[in-house]
Amino acid sequence: MPKLQDLAKKDSAFSSGHRMCAGCPVPIFTKMLTRVTDYDIVVGSATGCLEVASSIFPYSAWKVPWIHTAFENCSAMMSGVEAFDKVRRKKNNTEKKIKCVATGGDGGTYDIGIQSLSAAMERGHDLLYICYDNGAYMNTGIQRSGATPLGAATTTTPAGSVIGGKQQQRKDLTRIMIAHHIPYVAQASIHNPVDLSDKIKKGLEVDGPAFINILCPCIPGWRIAPDMAVESARQGVDTCYWPLYEVEQQKFKINYMPKEKLPVKDWLFTQGRFRHLKDDKWSQILVDFQARVDEQWDWLLARHAESE
Amino acid sequence: MSEAAIQAGCRFFAGYPITPQNEVPEYMSRRMPEVGGVFVQAESELAAISMIFGASATGTRCMTSSSSPGISLKQEGISYIAAGELPCVIANMQRGGPGLGNIRASQADYYQAVKGGGHGDYRLIVLAPATLPELYKLTQNAFDYADYYRIPVMILGDGILAQMAEPVELTPYKPILKIPKKDYILDGCQGREPRVIKTLMLNPTDALVTHNINMQKKHEKITADLQLVENYMTEDAEVVIAAYGMTARVAKGAIQIARDKGLKVGLIRPITVWPFPDKAMMEVAKTVRKFLVVEMSNGQFIDDVKLAIQCSKPVEFQGIGGGWYPSVEGILEKIEEIYK
Repeated sequence: MPKLQDLAKKDSAFSSGHRMCAGCPVPIFTKMLTRVTDYDIVVGSATGCLEVASSIFPYSAWKVPWIHTAFENCSAMMSGVEAFDKVRRKKNNTEKKIKCVATGGDGGTYDIGIQSLSAAMERGHDLLYICYDNGAYMNTGIQRSGATPLGAATTTTPAGSVIGGKQQQRKDLTRIMIAHHIPYVAQASIHNPVDLSDKIKKGLEVDGPAFINILCPCIPGWRIAPDMAVESARQGVDTCYWPLYEVEQQKFKINYMPKEKLPVKDWLFTQGRFRHLKDDKWSQILVDFQARVDEQWDWLLARHAESE
Repeated sequence: MSEAAIQAGCRFFAGYPITPQNEVPEYMSRRMPEVGGVFVQAESELAAISMIFGASATGTRCMTSSSSPGISLKQEGISYIAAGELPCVIANMQRGGPGLGNIRASQADYYQAVKGGGHGDYRLIVLAPATLPELYKLTQNAFDYADYYRIPVMILGDGILAQMAEPVELTPYKPILKIPKKDYILDGCQGREPRVIKTLMLNPTDALVTHNINMQKKHEKITADLQLVENYMTEDAEVVIAAYGMTARVAKGAIQIARDKGLKVGLIRPITVWPFPDKAMMEVAKTVRKFLVVEMSNGQFIDDVKLAIQCSKPVEFQGIGGGWYPSVEGILEKIEEIYK
């Protein structure tokens, strides 16, 4: 894999001057898209923070061909682009592929977009789908999503005196994507550029569908300081809330083993959205939260061991 | 609007995030548990409207809200709810379109709201409030209309109405109609025959045709019963502006200045845009010289004005879609241009 120093010298797919919030880590991955590969790429975005903030008319932050339609159908739209590329190659008698990348936030991926995502993967399009998971509908004002963790306060799961934030656990979308038996599935974090760029390169260059789920802390949504996004993502990984792993042809590999698995509350209490959980009356939420993290981590360790 | 719904006995709300109406589900998420109701944030607009189908079938007063692109996604469910003759309230706080458009106020979903929107021969009662006190009152009334006629009612607002602040007296709910007993709901069939709510009626010469005839009779009854309208300085007016919702409020400002300048101008403001207040429009057409239609869309509402007055008077037009706002000065200029 190329060194980060060399990657940084290459042209970025995403320019500065975009309108993401101060401290937002999402552009870390968009800048990598062209740096990790020599393929020409087309990017499609579902409605969301990245789409809105990178394309406010008459400006665009994208230096590659970029397309947006609606909220629920990014994978379907990019399936069309990828199918066109097949025809183009046949007509022009060339083998050189244009690689397709679809991006969506957790609302557009876990919730309203899961139908079109699942179908695109099942049909086997040569398409990399990247979900930047910040754990709620941040663009519209922090409403809960299927990715919002248990106990998080959002504007539609407010923490009050009777209900302590979101009452359900998040769904594990990465595992749902593994169940599609596609060539490449990975979970990555915005704080680890070496691991992240390796995964984006693999996902882009593999022949067939690929899915990467990236943990992207949200400054206003998580209620953290603007310089804390990278650090917060690192803590999320060290607690094993968000393990870094990849699955190639159903072979599991954990890419990062924390030296010491930190208790999840150490991470939660750094975020304003979990502030209410410091009150003892919500202690059961913390127990349940930790139990789910432990269960997922143990499951992953077992898969990793099986694959070795 | 959310509090009005709670006061009117709404106990089920399903919604999905979209600007500029997020304050409605956010309020409901706090308030519903306090009154023993249910708030659900759905995984999509289609899921939200389908939850409304289910909740209404149990006899619960229920509501959903969205904004233009979200309302487009809901159209399948709205058609099914209309076919199932299930009462519910749907708020559309319109934003600029087509496509994802923008998040400025707009009235460009007029056709979609009053001409059907989804497939099949159905109608919604469509209420178009211009102020927040009126929004409060009409939201409460909407639940009565929905239950009384067994029809979905749409509140057609816009991004300005959804985002503005204005004093509102939160008066307790008073029913304006005597609601018949809900003898169609699915509430457990112990001791009686089971009931069925469905929208698939395969026998082409009997079931579906009969169902459509019954629905059309209902639409005729609503058209006869319910034509709400505000006349403002129309008695002696030579030019009458026809506008609804927020646009009518801007027009009133222009009319006051025009009156000061000695121009006899008035306003007719439909409060129900379906049924369209044909009779009141025709009455005004008898005495007025010209109409001026102002709308935040490119000539949708004007069609119904022309139909209502049967093209008996000239109808001038001012309007653009996509998030354009009329100004008092702009309307005044247009009045002066056409007044001659």
